[in-house]
Amino acid sequence: MIIASLFILFLPLLAFLIQIFWGRRLPRQGDFVAIAAVGGTLVIALGMLLAILLKFDPGFQREAAFEWVNLGAFQIKLGFLIDNITVIMLVVVALISTMSHIYSTRYMGGDPLYSRYFAYLGLFTFSMNGIVLANNLLSLYIFWELVGVSSYLLIGFWFQKDSAADAGKKAFLTNRVGDLGFFIGIMLFFTAMGSFNYQDIFNGVANGQLSGIMLTLAGLGLFCGAVGKSAQVPLHIWLPDAMEGPTPVSALIHAATMVAAGVYMLVRLFPIMTPDVLIIIAYVGGFTALFAATIAITQNDIKRVLAYSTLSQLGYMVMAVGTGAYTAGFFHLVTHAMFKASLFYGAGSVIYAMHNALHKLNDHETDAQDMRNMGGFKSRMPITYWTMVVATLAISGVPFLSGFISKDAILAGTLAFAGHSPQHFLVPFFGFTAAMITPFYMLRLIYLTFHNEPRQTHIYIKIVESPRAMTVPMIVLSSLTFFAFYTLPQFNPFAGNGWFTSLVTAQDSLVTGFAVVSAHEFAEQVHHNHTLAMILSVSLAGLGILFSWLFYLKRKLSADAWAQRSGFIYRWSFHKYYIDEIYDRFIYQPFLRLTDKVGYTDWDLYDQKFIDGFGRVSEKLARLSGTIDWEGLDKMIVNGIGRFFQRSGQSLRQAQTGRLQNYLLFALLAIIVILIIQVL
Amino acid sequence: MTNLTSLNYLQPELILTATILLMIVVDLFYSAKKSRRIGLWALAGLVLAFIYITVSGFNIPTALFLGSISSDPFGIFFKVLILLATIMTILVSFSERDLSNQRVGEYYILLVIVTLGLFFMVSATDLIMVYLSIEVVSIMSFVLAGYLRGNRRSSEASLKYVIYGAFSSGIMLFGLSILFGLTGSTNFFDIRTGLMELQNGADLALMLSTVLIFAGLGYKISAVPFHYWTPDVYEGAPTSITAFLSVAPKAAGMALIIRFFNSILGGEGVFTELEWGTFSAIPWTQLLAVLAAVTMTVGNLIALRQTSVKRMLAYSSIAHAGYMMMALPVLSQQGVYGIMIYAVFYLLMNLGAFYVVMIIANATGQEDYDQFRGLGHKAPLLAILMTLFMFSLTGIPPTAGFIGKFYLFAAVIKAGPSFYWLAIIGALNSVISLYYYMYVVKTMFFTQEKTSITQIEFKGISILVIVLAIPTLIFGIYWTPIADIVHKSLAIFIR
Repeated sequence: MIIASLFILFLPLLAFLIQIFWGRRLPRQGDFVAIAAVGGTLVIALGMLLAILLKFDPGFQREAAFEWVNLGAFQIKLGFLIDNITVIMLVVVALISTMSHIYSTRYMGGDPLYSRYFAYLGLFTFSMNGIVLANNLLSLYIFWELVGVSSYLLIGFWFQKDSAADAGKKAFLTNRVGDLGFFIGIMLFFTAMGSFNYQDIFNGVANGQLSGIMLTLAGLGLFCGAVGKSAQVPLHIWLPDAMEGPTPVSALIHAATMVAAGVYMLVRLFPIMTPDVLIIIAYVGGFTALFAATIAITQNDIKRVLAYSTLSQLGYMVMAVGTGAYTAGFFHLVTHAMFKASLFYGAGSVIYAMHNALHKLNDHETDAQDMRNMGGFKSRMPITYWTMVVATLAISGVPFLSGFISKDAILAGTLAFAGHSPQHFLVPFFGFTAAMITPFYMLRLIYLTFHNEPRQTHIYIKIVESPRAMTVPMIVLSSLTFFAFYTLPQFNPFAGNGWFTSLVTAQDSLVTGFAVVSAHEFAEQVHHNHTLAMILSVSLAGLGILFSWLFYLKRKLSADAWAQRSGFIYRWSFHKYYIDEIYDRFIYQPFLRLTDKVGYTDWDLYDQKFIDGFGRVSEKLARLSGTIDWEGLDKMIVNGIGRFFQRSGQSLRQAQTGRLQNYLLFALLAIIVILIIQVL
Repeated sequence: MTNLTSLNYLQPELILTATILLMIVVDLFYSAKKSRRIGLWALAGLVLAFIYITVSGFNIPTALFLGSISSDPFGIFFKVLILLATIMTILVSFSERDLSNQRVGEYYILLVIVTLGLFFMVSATDLIMVYLSIEVVSIMSFVLAGYLRGNRRSSEASLKYVIYGAFSSGIMLFGLSILFGLTGSTNFFDIRTGLMELQNGADLALMLSTVLIFAGLGYKISAVPFHYWTPDVYEGAPTSITAFLSVAPKAAGMALIIRFFNSILGGEGVFTELEWGTFSAIPWTQLLAVLAAVTMTVGNLIALRQTSVKRMLAYSSIAHAGYMMMALPVLSQQGVYGIMIYAVFYLLMNLGAFYVVMIIANATGQEDYDQFRGLGHKAPLLAILMTLFMFSLTGIPPTAGFIGKFYLFAAVIKAGPSFYWLAIIGALNSVISLYYYMYVVKTMFFTQEKTSITQIEFKGISILVIVLAIPTLIFGIYWTPIADIVHKSLAIFIR
């Protein structure tokens, strides 16, 4: 297992190195190298999955570490931790990465930086696998930053476009804010336990080495990292902009894997989170789920709708961790990765077709991503259409598909949570409302893009289905939304039980005096609420589907008229609640003004007035004393010292005369001088 | 242990001796053109010895030949280091342009003899053996430095080396004889007992003897003020020999100094406790500390003003000897540890830097800064590797040089406030060295092209440079394996 995971980690790195140094010189610019490397990781990861399925042991765990730094009292060990969660996550990363690589061969075909693109993808895959495999907070943090870097490089991949370069910068800077908290959290744990290792930290928390308010603060610090990376409110602003990157990148990094890293970390570290932290996590996640969903309704850019939908789904996962149903959150992470990547591939396929059509028409004005320019594509791109419909139904929570069972598990978790702490009734409210809105905006996307009559007929007639390298990944991933893949050997579409739930089981909290409930009790409560959650979620999803159908397919209700009628609500949603503007006004601008002020104080006041004024005063004084100084002090003493050093430097150099007699003399003199000094 | 049983511990030395004898005979059968092949014989013998040492691993410290030499992990560690340096030297000698026009059979034979001498130097525990091994190394080095017959600079270097070497060994012999006179013995441990019995009764004589002996040993590691031969010899000798001289005899000299002074003057628990101190009243540790400070300062200051990169490296190697000497007077395991780990990293980065110079010299016939101008554009890979070595020699993370310096400074700081001044001088010196090392980098990347290099062939020596560069970088990030080996090698023979 450990050896296999070494291969999984380093194969993509190898591909990265080959691509970055020799990529351009290889045939096909070396894309086959990258695909072979990630394909290799996929094969290995599937082998590992098979191995854990055969073992079928919920407590399966392997750990290996090596000593990185040993300075006596201070040691740092790095290593791998492999358990069921790790293996499942490795499969997800390897699968989506392989699919994205294959998809990119066509989507990125002809790009001048084609080989570098694959190099970056390899770097990303390496770093992401590092996060998944880490057994300690330090290497987690290192790889955490590395995925940040590769994400930055890929968002700004088309850096000639200002918007792309800016988006990359924004993603990086926003993540720094979260990572600062993350780092503080890590160091709080390290100071308390003297180790970065997960198990050491777990033991330390169980022994009460870090407890009370400090443990809460440390947990909050870790959560800060997740807020940044998983784009939760209030640091969600970077993810929609990150859509400036190539679409396969959005699918891999900004939908399926990297943004899920925050959730993955919370799932790993759930047992050390205090109740206070968990409540904050639940609220932040729930709020993000609803908040992002309401924005998604009004967006017209096909990728942005998906971006807000990703935010919303990540909110679900985070909320699940907060309510204690963290295994359900991880379940949703896995199912979401499949259908969301598929949706992004579909959107990419549409954009690809639009681009080609516009290119043929010599049209550089029309926005290839704006759904208002689409419509009726169903007959033109049947494969894209059907895979997207399946994925949409999955994300909407329609029975028989994976999204239904995982979302259902989360919603049942929120109900159980509200059951034992009724004062937090808002959390399930967030969850269920978002569950209603999700199908509404997702079907809106489908209807606007694929149904009704084409809005731009001249574009429509040029639209063709994408090549096989792009459709195959879509077909693969959308078929993986079938529920049975996750519930075998059970075959009940209305209960999520199966190999997944058997292998990924919840652990009790290790926080001393954890007042809420044990994992077992909580599971009981979830079980009780299961039927209620299912009925509620199915009917709410049905409601969403119905309204979407009325609005956008049948046009019984006019979307425009309702937009008019809802007034400010529509405007707020359309402008994403003005969050970017608010940040600009209350954070960026004041900060820039502050820097201006500081700069003014430092340069205009301090430097120009004070220093220079001081300078002028002293200049006058200096002139006065100068005359005395020059004649007396300077000429004799100061110059004398200068001359002394010059001369000694000179003589030091000149000592190397090249004459052997001198050398011997110097050495002998030195011995004598040393002896004299010693004797004295 | 008696002479006969001692031979069991002497296999590596015996392998080398057999190799030398075999080479002398075989050389008779090669024509001048083919004499280069003797290098392969040398290589075979050295690799055999290397394999033998690494396979047999560390042993329990033992005294051999009635106490005149010892066999211990400490010595084995340095033997491995010396073998590595010699193997590298032989490999690069194959592509040294200066050597290509003459008979080179003896060249390789002499190199192996030097190696044998160095082996005895790192394991000597007897004054006679100390003197003998130093002489073996010196005399062979004289010939090697002057190996470029017909080249005036090379001959001049050799002559200077001979006279300076004879002078130094004379002075050292004087010191050794005083020591013998005081205690009536040539064995380190008998001398120690003798000195203890004297109870500081002959401190003046002991002081005199210490200073004189250090003059001899200091010449071997080119410590200021016994360094005058260094730049001239380093400049005149073939570059492969310069690189060798700047690494192997220096490491062996360090090992000898550590063993000699600590065994004779170290306090209770020497080499076994974490810290030991000294039983003698004479201020020999202060002397070493001052000389360390002077050595690095002078080396760095003069290196600043050089116009030839080879000469700059020669002076900088003096400065590096100074850094290593810093950890001598702290008299602790950590200090010895620091010197040993630094010796490993220094071997990698210094040989690497010299070999880059050699590639340039092979291609252009010159070694001055002008030939490095614009190298970053003409031969980017070579320039990047050189930059790596320069960073490492300066001690900038993440390179091995940083880790080495870190351990040295840590040892000095840990020794307490009385050594803070030394650490400060060391740090200031690092800053000075930054200037001239970075000047090379600046010359390669930020000046107009002037180098007459047209193309660097990617073979032989270039591959060796890459082989040296990889660990220079990797040990800057992950050095625990080396640290472990050094830790295991800390067992030093003591009676």
